[in-house]
Amino acid sequence: SSTSDSKDGEIKTVFHDPENFNVKHPLMNNWTLWFTKPPSGKGDNWAELLKEVISFDSVEEFWGIYNNITPTSDLALKSDYHLFKKGVRPEWEDSQNKHGGKWAFQFKDKKAINIDALWLHVMLAAIGENLEDDEDNEVMGVVVNVRRGFYRIGLWTRTVGKADPSKGRTAEQGREVLHKIGKRFRQSLQLKDNEMVEFSGHTDSAHAGSTRAKAKFTA
Amino acid sequence: DMHKPIEPAQPTAGMQALKSARFLQVRSELVNYPEGILSPNPALNQGTKNKAGGRVYDKDFLLQFQAVFKEKPSTDWDMKLKETVGDSSDSAGPRSA
Repeated sequence: SSTSDSKDGEIKTVFHDPENFNVKHPLMNNWTLWFTKPPSGKGDNWAELLKEVISFDSVEEFWGIYNNITPTSDLALKSDYHLFKKGVRPEWEDSQNKHGGKWAFQFKDKKAINIDALWLHVMLAAIGENLEDDEDNEVMGVVVNVRRGFYRIGLWTRTVGKADPSKGRTAEQGREVLHKIGKRFRQSLQLKDNEMVEFSGHTDSAHAGSTRAKAKFTA
Repeated sequence: DMHKPIEPAQPTAGMQALKSARFLQVRSELVNYPEGILSPNPALNQGTKNKAGGRVYDKDFLLQFQAVFKEKPSTDWDMKLKETVGDSSDSAGPRSA
């Protein structure tokens, strides 16, 4: 409107005025937060336990959610948070995941770490697009699992490091992309030099059943 | 008309600001952040390979928002959260110490 013309050029961020800002910081991707409820023990199926919580596409929205949601350290055992690109279900069965895999690290000494800070830093690396380069198109999402003996943080990738003729990517380049992502993932987790993140393909994990999938490689 | 049903909670000013704010053109619009606030690392958003239009943010930049924006996503957020994440106290199984 004409009455506010003089103000139109004035950029006010949330740092200038948290109650009256006029611009927000866009994310490169739209993200959806999912939650896996712990099973009740009454034979509920997993698909019903997996709930979509909310989607967002700005930095400000992310913090509004993060500041008002149960911290990972307060979740019951067998809970998961999943932060995935919108349109991708955080399941092996999703067609976009079925040729993929994941980088993961298990924190076995739950009391020695700050899981809330670790999960936050991994989410920030994901939404801030620090885990992959623009053209990689590998990151599907990140996940934290709360279990009796450990916390585990994972990063799901679209492929297991295969050639991609549509991008002119050889198999070797495909593996290099995956390794680079693994390194950035472990940086976001601030692991010690002797702590390695392990990669496994989803099909390996599925076939391994409840036992741990054999890692294909580490970073 | 004196006895209206309970009105739904009104969105806060911060919620409304978030809803009406437009997306910043990170690469083309220069923001004068208040003193003490770091700008996004410009190195992340330069170069011809970056098609993201300046939507790459480093951790230090992002962490600055943590204490600044605390609005719930919506007026019915608490109810929504209860339906999805639930109370950690009412979920099955023992809690970790």
